[in-house]
Amino acid sequence: MSGHHISSAKFLWGIAIALFFLTFVTVAVTWIEIPDPWNVVVAIGIAIVKALLVLLFFMNLYWDSKFNSLLFVFSIIFFLLLIGITLLDTLFRIDPIPSF
Amino acid sequence: MSSTSAIEEKRLDHVQHHFVDSDQQFESAKMGMWVFIVTEVLMFGGLFAAYIAYRAWYPELYLEASTQLNAFWGGVNTLVLIGSSLTVAMAIRSAQLNQIKGLIINLYITIGLALTFMVIKYFEYSEKLYKGIAPGSYYTYDGLEHEKANIFFSIYYMMTGLHGVHVTIGIALMIWLVIKAKKNVFHEGYYTPVEITGLYWHLVDIIWIFLFPLLYLID
Repeated sequence: MSGHHISSAKFLWGIAIALFFLTFVTVAVTWIEIPDPWNVVVAIGIAIVKALLVLLFFMNLYWDSKFNSLLFVFSIIFFLLLIGITLLDTLFRIDPIPSF
Repeated sequence: MSSTSAIEEKRLDHVQHHFVDSDQQFESAKMGMWVFIVTEVLMFGGLFAAYIAYRAWYPELYLEASTQLNAFWGGVNTLVLIGSSLTVAMAIRSAQLNQIKGLIINLYITIGLALTFMVIKYFEYSEKLYKGIAPGSYYTYDGLEHEKANIFFSIYYMMTGLHGVHVTIGIALMIWLVIKAKKNVFHEGYYTPVEITGLYWHLVDIIWIFLFPLLYLID
């Protein structure tokens, strides 16, 4: 649980190369036509994998005190709550699209 | 003997009186930064919620309006930011290993990459504003069919604009780190500001990782 984890330079480069590669994959999947809801799902899926790589190995959550991970997970839970409740309203309005 | 204890003291003079030791101070600072990151996630979360609600209402608008964004330069900026995250991680590693020269060099590269990001962003913005693609009621471009095209660009400018503000703050913080590093403030026992700024910078990177596919790669 030491907060002073030192990653090797090789390891950091490995993570960066994985991130570069996944960026290329994100762009490449737009060249293949994926039917409608799934193109967003794939794009967000890759973005989540990239974000996890950064969080765990660049921001050191993997070696860090678990309390910091807990804080971050809670922020995501509240973010999903925000989106969920907003969509419960906006998706099911009788007059769905306002004038703005 | 007395000289070693003087060095010992210098090593510990960053510890504030209300902390037990250097490690406790470091862990507290880091936890404080994570609490700040939570507030940042929720601030950007509001904009992402707006993005999602409007995309649910106008899916065809997002398809059409995103053709005005240049996915190539968006992609280049993604690579630039990932590269800068790597150099920040390397800067922290240098500080942990007492390599102050390496720390300064890595910080300079990071500042350079951050400036590159902002220059590309500047050309993207000015090209759009020249065409009249401005947010909200300032929108005057007539090249798009959709009558609500301004809404997509209001969201685009708010999200990338707030992100750009964060990049600018990050550049200022890293210049401050370079100045401190040159004064020999940092060593293996004390590099808290480098670590904390690093966390902030990685968060900026993560936000862009989501903005890039959501804004540039819709099709």
